[in-house]
Amino acid sequence: MIEFKNVSVTYPGAREPALANVSVTFQKGEFVCVLGRSGAGKSTFIRCINGLQPVTEGYVKWEDKVLSEMTHKETLEVRRKTGMIFQHFNLIPRMSVVQNILTGLFGYKKSYENLLGLFKSSDRLQALEAINQVELTVEPTRRVEKLSGGQKQRVAIARALVQNPKVFLGDEPVASLDPGTADRIFHLLKETHVKRNLVSIINVHDVCLAKKFATRIIALKDGKLFFDGAPEEFDDKIYAEIYNHTS
Amino acid sequence: MVWFKRSQFLIVVCLSLLVVGSMKLTEFDLSKFRDFQNMGDFLSKWFPMNTESLPFLFQESLLTIAIAFLGSLFGLIIALPLSFMAARNTSKNRFVYSVTRFLLSFLRSVPEFVFGLILLTTLGLGPFPAVIAIIFHNIGVLGKLISELIESADKGPMEAMSAVGASRWIGNLFAVLPQIWPNVLSQFFYRFEVAIRTLLILGLIGGGGIGQQLFIHFKTFQYQLVSVDVLLIMIMVILVDYMGSKIREKVI
Repeated sequence: MIEFKNVSVTYPGAREPALANVSVTFQKGEFVCVLGRSGAGKSTFIRCINGLQPVTEGYVKWEDKVLSEMTHKETLEVRRKTGMIFQHFNLIPRMSVVQNILTGLFGYKKSYENLLGLFKSSDRLQALEAINQVELTVEPTRRVEKLSGGQKQRVAIARALVQNPKVFLGDEPVASLDPGTADRIFHLLKETHVKRNLVSIINVHDVCLAKKFATRIIALKDGKLFFDGAPEEFDDKIYAEIYNHTS
Repeated sequence: MVWFKRSQFLIVVCLSLLVVGSMKLTEFDLSKFRDFQNMGDFLSKWFPMNTESLPFLFQESLLTIAIAFLGSLFGLIIALPLSFMAARNTSKNRFVYSVTRFLLSFLRSVPEFVFGLILLTTLGLGPFPAVIAIIFHNIGVLGKLISELIESADKGPMEAMSAVGASRWIGNLFAVLPQIWPNVLSQFFYRFEVAIRTLLILGLIGGGGIGQQLFIHFKTFQYQLVSVDVLLIMIMVILVDYMGSKIREKVI
């Protein structure tokens, strides 16, 4: 469904590429965890999938279409059907839980509807359903900055859910949460993944979480694809090679 | 002396030279205050205040507030979209960015007084040219300040909005405006306050309001009215400042 072909990304002014010649394919139903040291290119990799990061060489293909050759409208459509969550949640401050979740519908609406907040009652119902699905027990009218980290990430997941996504991307979604909360958030991600039959591609630092939830693990080292296989194949030897500090 | 580098001593030397030079140019000399008896004599002429024409002056103060209010609000409304075009992170491209920046600094470099003088020729005397002059200058000032707020906004929400598939301008608006809103409000109220004081100068060219009254009273030696004007102006400035901080509290 999503194909990387010889993808390289070099940031302007950098000598080494952040992502070097990566080829990989993802199919429907896969729950992929991406491992690697800080600076190995995980964030860049994730951002290439929905075009937040343009590629320097190679291409990323969605079904039969190359991302960089799409029209602006098609790119927006790809992003609309891709739910993305972040390490720092990236919610909009000074807005309520339900308002934040409704911004997930921005890709489906006309600009003036978004500007004036002209949402149908079915939209609002959808937002409330999403709150239920992520098991959020706070008042929907509460401002998001009053929530705990775990609750904020649940709001972010709910925002992604109302997009009615086909693909779920996570850029270190649990890196700033405590271990217990991290585990529960992963449970939630896996559950929605199975229920909606998505492709999920998620960066993590925690190898245990990856082995517990992933159906497939890929690992990046210095921007190169270093490992790609089942969680059982990811053993201590590979672990040591990825996280071993050579420099 | 771990906080200091050797090169910083050079800065201190340069700064001292600049201070000395500037003092020479401005005839800065504290010993001149020995004649401050004169000031006391002068100020004593301000009292007792002449409260007879208070109702009229009060009305003029309302006019001043109205001019300052329109001047800063319309300035803000026009400056907001411009500031998104003049911020590096939300501007469509380099060209739009440079052109808007230039426009804003141009508007800022022309004082309200000069705008007023020019507008006099078509609009005549009165409060209306004063409103327009303040709007123009405020677009320049608020546009610059807000575009800097936009540039320092957290880019996380912007990324989230593009990931959601929102169109560029909607994404930028929603990701940035809630972040900077309290600071935008405090800049607005500060400009409101400044506009009240600017109107004293626009009074010179018939801008209307309490500023013009102050100018007239001063020129006709009616110091007991001058004191009333000054008091009213102080009250207005303090009031606007108080209101601003109350509203800002609500938003934060």
